[in-house]
Amino acid sequence: MNHFLPKKILKWAMQTRIGRSIFRVGLPESNLERSQAMVSSFLLHVQPAKVNRHSLKASYTLGLGLISLYLLLILVGTGTLLMFYYVPSTDRAYNVMKDLQFVISAGLVLRNMHRWAAHLMVLFVMLHMCRVFYTGAYKSPREFNWVIGVMLFLVTLGLSFTGYLLPWDQLAFWAITVGANIAAYAPIIGPKLQFLLLGGHTVGQEALTRFYALHVIVLPAVAFLGVSIHLFRVRKDGGLSRPEEVRSSVDRIALNELPTNKSYGLMELARGTTPQVGKNPDDEVFSWPHLIFREIILFLLVAVVLLFLSIFWNAPLEEFANAIHPPNPAKAPWYFLGLQELVSYSAFWGGVVVPGLLVGLLMLLPYIDRNRHGIGRWFARERIVANTLFTFCLIVAIVLTIIGSLFRGPNWSWQNPWKQQAVQTESH
Amino acid sequence: MNHSHQDPAVSRRNFFELTFGWCAAAFAVSATAAGALRFLVPNVLFEPSQQFKAGKPDDYLDGSVTFIEDQRVFIVRKGNTYRCISAVCTHLGCTVNRTEQGYHCPCHGSVFNNEGTRTAGPAPKALSWFLVSLSKDNRLVVDKNQRVTEEKYLVV
Repeated sequence: MNHFLPKKILKWAMQTRIGRSIFRVGLPESNLERSQAMVSSFLLHVQPAKVNRHSLKASYTLGLGLISLYLLLILVGTGTLLMFYYVPSTDRAYNVMKDLQFVISAGLVLRNMHRWAAHLMVLFVMLHMCRVFYTGAYKSPREFNWVIGVMLFLVTLGLSFTGYLLPWDQLAFWAITVGANIAAYAPIIGPKLQFLLLGGHTVGQEALTRFYALHVIVLPAVAFLGVSIHLFRVRKDGGLSRPEEVRSSVDRIALNELPTNKSYGLMELARGTTPQVGKNPDDEVFSWPHLIFREIILFLLVAVVLLFLSIFWNAPLEEFANAIHPPNPAKAPWYFLGLQELVSYSAFWGGVVVPGLLVGLLMLLPYIDRNRHGIGRWFARERIVANTLFTFCLIVAIVLTIIGSLFRGPNWSWQNPWKQQAVQTESH
Repeated sequence: MNHSHQDPAVSRRNFFELTFGWCAAAFAVSATAAGALRFLVPNVLFEPSQQFKAGKPDDYLDGSVTFIEDQRVFIVRKGNTYRCISAVCTHLGCTVNRTEQGYHCPCHGSVFNNEGTRTAGPAPKALSWFLVSLSKDNRLVVDKNQRVTEEKYLVV
């Protein structure tokens, strides 16, 4: 066979004594080796050896879960590099931001990447949840994986929120002051929770230390554990959700009709109908290369778009944090602006009751929705009630967020976003 | 269920398993969790003291409302009376600004009158008034731990 030079070198390296000790299979040539390559690799074995064609359709998943995972990996990479310079001290944190901008090589691009990836991750986790809802993918047997997904969404918000304080600029200080005061509205434990979170009564050095610890070790560890379980459950619950037609077509094949000129080996035990058990091989393809190739292309796409954003748009950095002068208006991060809009009417209802109800409903959703139909198809007719309710909530959330971000100006009063208004600075 | 003397509902083995096994495990886990939680509650705060001296009474002009930055309070003098009002908005903790009619919060637009009572905006309650007293060396002393009504003031 005629190979390109890089592939020739790779093949030679893998068949040397050292290469063989690392890569048991090498570059696969046959279908057997394609399966073995997936199963014998630590990084690849979380994925199946063969994958249903339906799961590969970009029009079904839109790649949203994978994009969220890639953004998390990029955040870990850029975040680790930023940690080599960052000091969680109220005296020095802001100077490090300035150093990243003007002194440290590639510092600005790395901080931009970290900031934009964080915003995008919140966005894509939300979109991923919408996809799972509209395709009814949270139904049995995937109920608990949806619950884990909601927890991962909360961890994502927590990661973003704790990271928000670290630059120690005006944006950071007042967003966290407002956020921590919303937490204090929670019944009974509210003020104690706020005290514990801030390590004091106001946002200061103790709060910065605590948020730093949460941001760089506690929440990332929880996120990684959660993502691992989330992916593991995707496998154990029978791969990605598929419509009935795709699942049932193979069950109709009687055991005695299976070809006898093949030998079958037990690859794994999984609950429910799985891509492996008694399946017609025709609606499945080998993960290597069909899945792997798509994953690599998608990662490159995410990386390129993020790099592009980070080169042309800088992460915001306002003045040094000042406890005396709140900016006007003091706005939370965009994904909390819908809540802040509600909070501007009532802090208790907008800050505690509505988000509490939303999270509770999301967690219990697969146990409330007993409808067993319409799994694995976008906007299935059988799910018209659930889809309409969800869409209504989604539109309300989007409208509130747009009002909070664009239509609220100084003193949280109405403003016309198309008319540029002079930035008002409060003075005593 | 009919259990004979030799076959009690809870066997000795079950009883010891429950008390020394499960109860001990539950105690160990909750004690460790409680200890870790207590560790996270700071015993010493590196914050400005809640009780502070605000200078001599004569430092403030008659009819003036003076902002004290580090403490986020206003000292209000009227005639020979002194009062101290919090500058922390009761809504979400932003610092309010002094206006002609009273106080105004820039974050979400809460408006308070001169007595600290909310007249507009989302704030759930009035601004707090703190106890003002006079020290032996003739300095105003504000204690932010002690809330008072707006009618209570120090006469010098």
